[in-house]
This record gives sequence, structure tokens and C-alpha cells, in this order.
Amino acid sequence: MAFATPLAFALAALAVPVVVFYILKVRLRRVPVSTNLFWKQIFDEKPPRSLWQYLRHVLSLLAQLLLVTLLVLAVADPYFSWQLLQARRIVAVIDNSASMRADDGESSRFDAAIDAALATVDGLRFRDEMAIVLAGSEPEVVVGMSGHAPTLKRALRSIEISDNSTDLKPAIDLGKRLVAEHPHGQVLVFTDGCRKKAEENNAEPDAAVSYRVFGSADAGNVGITRFQVRRSLIDPLGYEVLVAVRNASSHPVKGRLELELAGSPVDILPLDLSPEGVFARSLEKTSLEGGTLTASLTELQIADDDQEDEPSEASKPETDRKRVINSLATDDRAWAVLPARAIQNVLLITEGNLFLQKVFEANPLVRVTVQAEFPDKWPADGIVVLHRKVPEMLPPGQVFVVDPSGDCDAWKLGQPIRDPIVTEQDEASTLMTHVRLDNVVMPKARALTFTNPPHALASVLSGEAVYAEVKRERGKCLVLTVDINEGDLAFRTAFPIMVANTLGWFNGQTGELRQALPTGSIAEVELADDAETEESAFVLHNPSGDSQPLPVHRRAAAHEASNGDEEAGAIAESSAYLAVPPLNKCGVWSVARAASGEGESPLAELAVNLASDAESDLRTPAELITKPTNHLAASWFSRPLWYYLAAAACLLALVEWVLHQRRVLT
Amino acid sequence: MALFEPDFLTRLEYLSIISKRVFRGSLLAQRRTMQLGSGIEFSDHREYTLGDDFRYLDWNVYARLGDLLLKRFQEEQDLHVYLMLDCSRSMAAGSPAKFDLARRLVAALAYIALADLDRVCVLAFAGTVVDEFPLSRGKARILPLMRFLESQQVTGEDTDLGHSVQGLLHRSQRSGIAVVVSDLFDERGYQLGLDQLRYRRFDSHVLQLHAPEEADPAHLGDVELVDVETGSVRKVTVTEKNLRTYTTLFRQHQSSVREYCRRYALGCTQSPSTVPFDELILRMMREAGMGG
Repeated sequence: MAFATPLAFALAALAVPVVVFYILKVRLRRVPVSTNLFWKQIFDEKPPRSLWQYLRHVLSLLAQLLLVTLLVLAVADPYFSWQLLQARRIVAVIDNSASMRADDGESSRFDAAIDAALATVDGLRFRDEMAIVLAGSEPEVVVGMSGHAPTLKRALRSIEISDNSTDLKPAIDLGKRLVAEHPHGQVLVFTDGCRKKAEENNAEPDAAVSYRVFGSADAGNVGITRFQVRRSLIDPLGYEVLVAVRNASSHPVKGRLELELAGSPVDILPLDLSPEGVFARSLEKTSLEGGTLTASLTELQIADDDQEDEPSEASKPETDRKRVINSLATDDRAWAVLPARAIQNVLLITEGNLFLQKVFEANPLVRVTVQAEFPDKWPADGIVVLHRKVPEMLPPGQVFVVDPSGDCDAWKLGQPIRDPIVTEQDEASTLMTHVRLDNVVMPKARALTFTNPPHALASVLSGEAVYAEVKRERGKCLVLTVDINEGDLAFRTAFPIMVANTLGWFNGQTGELRQALPTGSIAEVELADDAETEESAFVLHNPSGDSQPLPVHRRAAAHEASNGDEEAGAIAESSAYLAVPPLNKCGVWSVARAASGEGESPLAELAVNLASDAESDLRTPAELITKPTNHLAASWFSRPLWYYLAAAACLLALVEWVLHQRRVLT
Repeated sequence: MALFEPDFLTRLEYLSIISKRVFRGSLLAQRRTMQLGSGIEFSDHREYTLGDDFRYLDWNVYARLGDLLLKRFQEEQDLHVYLMLDCSRSMAAGSPAKFDLARRLVAALAYIALADLDRVCVLAFAGTVVDEFPLSRGKARILPLMRFLESQQVTGEDTDLGHSVQGLLHRSQRSGIAVVVSDLFDERGYQLGLDQLRYRRFDSHVLQLHAPEEADPAHLGDVELVDVETGSVRKVTVTEKNLRTYTTLFRQHQSSVREYCRRYALGCTQSPSTVPFDELILRMMREAGMGG
């Protein structure tokens, strides 16, 4: 046996005053009384037991000395060497994924897991250590290795459940690293019984990892496993919805799938799902305004024909019937954000080109004005399309130059390009989305010598850019050095798409698809070049309405000069963006300026859904479900030695008190 | 503090007046004896017999009826008041000491008696009569009596009321009023002495005093109990239960005294030593008046 604080033995000197006080105490106090008349009656009637009379003071002294000894030993904190050798190092991995919300038992799976983890804390022995790791989108150490039970319990009770999908492996790996090579290390995973997770756990048996699985084998669930919306590539007002609903139960289920756009009903689809059935549908709708598209599962019930076959199901209470078909409410709703369409004004300066005029007029979102001459004053908003005619100074704002016939401040017109076949295009640019110009002949395309290196979107074999974004300070500018009347570009499907991309690019749309994200995702929101980039200028609102500040990050991007001049080097640009932390709650998150008012539209909206087949399947194989264990017995012997010594000291103090009472009070 | 303060006599005089006004005829002097004699208050008639004094013939009756009847008168007689003061060591207990209150009470009773022209005798006793102030009469004797009382000290090894009463009876053949001022902590029994007074037809009154700590002791734990009278030491462990038993026994003792006095028509006044003497005297008179 060893002692943690042997210095405490100096406290043994307390025995000296105990003995001194004992000696002083046995000298009896003399009390004069008027008569012994009554005392005689008292003491002669009940003479004290002689043995007790002789020993009572000695026993009292011994009890007091033993009390001092126990206290000194308790302060010295003794421990056995085997306690050090057999101390355990436990990492509790808590699964707080959405499926843990399932209320298929007496309490939710998450509550049951937390209760089991608390029981494990109660069962910790002296010198055992435990850490708690949260298995979120990124594993998070809630509390490091500690043997202090109240701290561990506080940490466990502070864990909140999320809507994330389960991803246990990173957390388990982190737990293994925390356990390291400890001989009594153990990773305890408190998770639920999603079938896939259970199978995954079986597939990777590991002696150091054990599972506490909560759930039930008959917990059915019907959930939306996929929900996306995007603007139609063909119809400027149209949009397409992709929705999938899965019945992860052993019963056929009927119900309805209701779609709402900005609070207005869009469609109601009847569902008739067989066990393990999937309803997947792509829908086409139209809307100019856009907004939040919501899908909801309603009126879910076991199909009637199945109830007839199994009358026992029909006779079950409503809560039980709900449990067998829909134990999880998180995936009963899904959200997607449909961007709004805006009317764009286009001023077309041309002496006449129907291809160009009609491709803009074909877009119902565009209001086209055709002029042959330059106006006296350039419009403040809208897009100016210059066909052939180019002023010496390009107008400010958004300019699209097609087949320039002269020089201007941004370029000088060169010679016609030989073999103007497009061989290279910028696939990453939103301007080239769904546009394929490979091997398209661009007759009469002319080389341009740009004042500033442009961003080439399409280049010919010789490297000359035939479609480029011109870098200038006075606004966005695109130039297409193609004669529309010649060649087959105007007949290609790519041409109207390219024009539609151009309109979207001028309008600030980075893409038509605002993808609904799965829970736990992180995202980035690009800021406009002229956007305010002060710290704490932006906030993130979660679906509950709570907000948190979003820091502004800067990204350094390097663009090589398009003319291949290596000496010109790279022009370093710095673009600002907002890094959105893991989105762990289903619903629509919004990024807004911190100083924005009530009616101001947010900078970006992010739809977040559970959208996980594995997470929606709540059934747990019965053999994996952990039987409740009694940790109480372990907790009796989980205390350090000093605790028992102190308890013995308290007991002894009680004995001495009883002895004192026996001497004085009884 | 002096036993008798400067205004002590004034308070005694006040008590004397109060006693005459309120308890006239019920205490001490001015009591009529049962003997007929030469008093002035008419009692009844009897037939004249040879040798009777002619002066007491009722001539009015003789004139109306012709019968010779002799008028008889109730004889008034001085009372002998015996005040027995307990001087045992146990009387020193209390704060103020029981003995001081006892001496003040004796002085007050003696003054009231002397003011009523009764004869007063004070006997200081412990194991036996240790000192005596002889029978005296007249208010002028109050000062010597007070000096006598001041000179008394607690003494003796034991209280023996029976033996002390015997000393009283040896000294006086004539009965009267006997007032015993004591704590009655007599191991032989207080009844022995009071019985003798009763047998000798003394009109007895008991003034039993006790210190508050005697009624409700507070010494717990291991103690040596020293009897102040005998000096005997007893090593005991006093528990709360013992204290409760003690209190019960003490109360039983007090109630037994009250019961004894009630049974044999003796006056009984019990009081802690903290009560002022004049208040106690008034209470005693009130109780005696109610009893008479």
C-alpha cells in the first residue's frame, strides 16, 4: 500500500491534545448539592454496571484516538498498487444522431443512452478514467479523461440531440486514440439500432470497442429520404422537384405527401407504400417568385387491407400503431429553397440580328429593347448587349459584346483567327454550365488583345479566347468574338443555354441548383466583391430562430494570365466567403447581415434535411439490443480508500457520540 | 448586601398594617381563646351559684324575669408565636440564599406578631436547636430580634426537624402558633417534627423554601456530588434521564409536603428563594386567610 500524501501523517500529532483533554476530563467536577436525598434514590435504585463504569472512559479515549487515526489515514489518501494496475480507461461515444430521437420505448433512445452512460459513470471504480466523445458530423470530445463523476455526469447531461446522420467511425477512432495502448482501455459506444449501423458494427468486431444498443426490432418509420428542387434548364419559370419517400417498416402504409411553396399548396400526392417500398418522383412546376418548398408526410396509417389481415394491429392503441410505422418525426418534413426569378432589362444595340434578338426575347424573364445607335445615356441597370458596334469606352455596368468590330478601352481588335474551332472551355465556370462548345466552328472569330488579362471561357486551338470574361473595374463584361450569322452556333442547343447562363451570371446567380444539404453538412457562402467584410457583419439563423455570428474568411485565388505571358505572373485575388458551421438541425437556415432589418431578404438560404436511408430505418435486430444491466453493485465499491476511511471515521464519531450520550444523556 | 436594608422596617410596618386591614382576626394576635373569662365581649349566661361575683349578675334579666343569671365574657389571651428558623448548611444554597430570605421572613412575621402584642420566640435549628431568641413582647423587641437574626450562620451537619421540635417543646409548655421556615431536606423525614407540633396542638404553618437550581439542576456528565451538610461525596454520571428523575422526585417531595399540610390543616407556603420576602408574606397571609 502506498500513500498519495504521506505528509498528512503529521496530523497524527492531534492525538496529543486528545489525550491531554482526556486526562483533564477524567478529573471530575465537584458539584455541591443541598441534599443527596434525591440523588440517593436515583442512583441507589439503578446502580451503574461496573464493567461499563470502569471502561467507559477508556473506551471513549480509544474511540477518539481511532477517530484521529482514521482521519489521518483518509487525508494521507492510501491506495493499493493493484488499483493503479487495474484502473480502466473508458471512452464513451454518444450517438446523438436524429434516429436517437425515436420514441419507440418508454423514453427516447437518446434518453435511454444517456441514462445508461450515467449508470456507467456510477460504476466507475477508483482511479478509473472516462472521456466522453460526441459522434456528430465531426467527433467532439465533450470532456477529456477524468475520474470525477460529477463532471462526467454534467457533461453527459449537457449533450443535446441533433438531426445529424450517424457517423460513428470517426468518433470510435478518436476514442481508440484516447484509449491508446492502455491495457484496460475500452470504447463504449452508446448508439441506437439503425439496421445499417448495427450491421456495420458486426462487420468490424473489435475487442476494445463494445456497443450499448438501444431501440426495438419493430420500430417502423416512413420518412422522406430525398428532396431537392432546381430551376428548369428549359423553362425559365419552371422548376423540378425530386422527392423520395421510404417505408422502413414491415407494414404497408398509406398517407399523403403534401408540397407547399412559400406556404401555398403546390401538390398533394397519395402514398401507398408496401413494406420496404420506396416512392420516388420527379415533378415539374412553375413559379416566378420561388421560396421555401416544403414536403410533409401526413395522415400516415397502416393500409386497410393489411389491417384486415392482421386485426391485432388495428386493435392496438394509436401510439403503438404510430410506433410501428412512424417512430421518427424528423424525416416527416423536408425543405428545399427555390431561387426567385427576376425580370432583366436588356438593351440590344444592333443593326439587326434576329438570332440574337430572338434568343433574348425567348426568355420570358427578359425585357428586350433593340436600338441601332448608342443611346445618349447608358441605362443604370440592366444588361447592355453590343452587337458589332463598340464604343471607344465601354459603358459601365453589365455589358455583353458579341462579334466586336472595333477597338475599345478593354481590347484592341486583331486579325481573324485561323481554324477557329473551340478546343478548350472552362468547365468550372457557371457561365459554361450545360454548355458544350467542343468542335464548334466559330467562323470569322477575331483575336483580341486585351488591356487586362481576361478569364477565358472558350478558347480555340491556337489558344485565342473566343469567349471571355473581361476584367475591368466598371462592371461585369463578357465578349464573344463570333459572327452569329456565320457558323452553326446559333443553331446549337448550347446557344440559348449560354445566353441563359450569361443572364444568370449578370444577375448574380451562381447556379440554378440550390442543393438541399444533409444534416451535419458544412457550407460556404460566397460574398460579392463589394460586400461588407467586417467581422461580425453576418449572422447565421437556425430554423428555431436562434442566431450566431459568422466569421468572414478570405480565399486567395491565383489566375494566370490568359495570354500565356509567364513573366506577367499570377494576379492574386482575394475573395471573401462565409464558412457555415455544421448544420445539425433540419429546416431552413439563413445567412443574413447582422444589421439587416425585418423585411430585408437574407444573403443566402440553406435547406437542411435528414435525407438518409440508414437514419430513417430505425429497426434494430433484437439480438443487438443491450439488456439493461445493474451497475449499482459496482458503485458500492467504486470509491477510493480514503472515502471508506472517512466513512468509518464518521461512523466512529457516531459511536463516540452514542458513548457520550450513554454517559450523559441516556 | 446587608440582610436588613434601611427601609426594611418601613416595609415591615406596611406589612403589619396590611395584615390588620385585610386579615384581621385571622392571623396571629387578636385571636380569641376558647376560654371564658374576664374579657369585655359578652358570650352567654349561666345560672348564678354561690360564690359568684355579684358584679357579673345581669340585673336587667333579674328585673324582667326574676332569675339570677350571671353574664359570661370571652377571655382574650396573648398568643405565643414560635418561629423556627432552619440554619442547616443546605439553607445557604441559592442566589439569593434561602437562608437570607428565611431570616427576612422570620423578621417580618415576628414584627407583625409583636405589633399585635403577641409573644414571639425565634428558634434557630439544624440538627437541634442551636440558638434561641426568647419569648418577647412589644414592638421594641424587633431590633434585638433583627440583630439576633443577623448573627445567625448556617451551621450543623444535618437537618433534624424532629429533634429540633423536641427542643421547642421542652422550652415551652404552652402551645401557640409555630411557623417552620425551612427547606425540609430532612433525611429522617420532615413529618416527625410536624407531627409533634400537631400532637401538642400547635397551630403550625410551614414555609418551605428552595433554590431554583435545587428544583431544576443542570449539571450533566461525570461529577462528584458533595452534600453540603454531611460532606459526603458521591461520584456519579448524571444523565438527562437522571435529571428528569431528579425533577420528578423533587416535585414529589414538594407535593408530599403540600399534601401533608392539607391533610392535617397546616398552613403551607412553598416558594423559590428568588421571591421577595414581602410578597411571600402577603401570599402566606392570603393562603392562611383562605384556609381560615
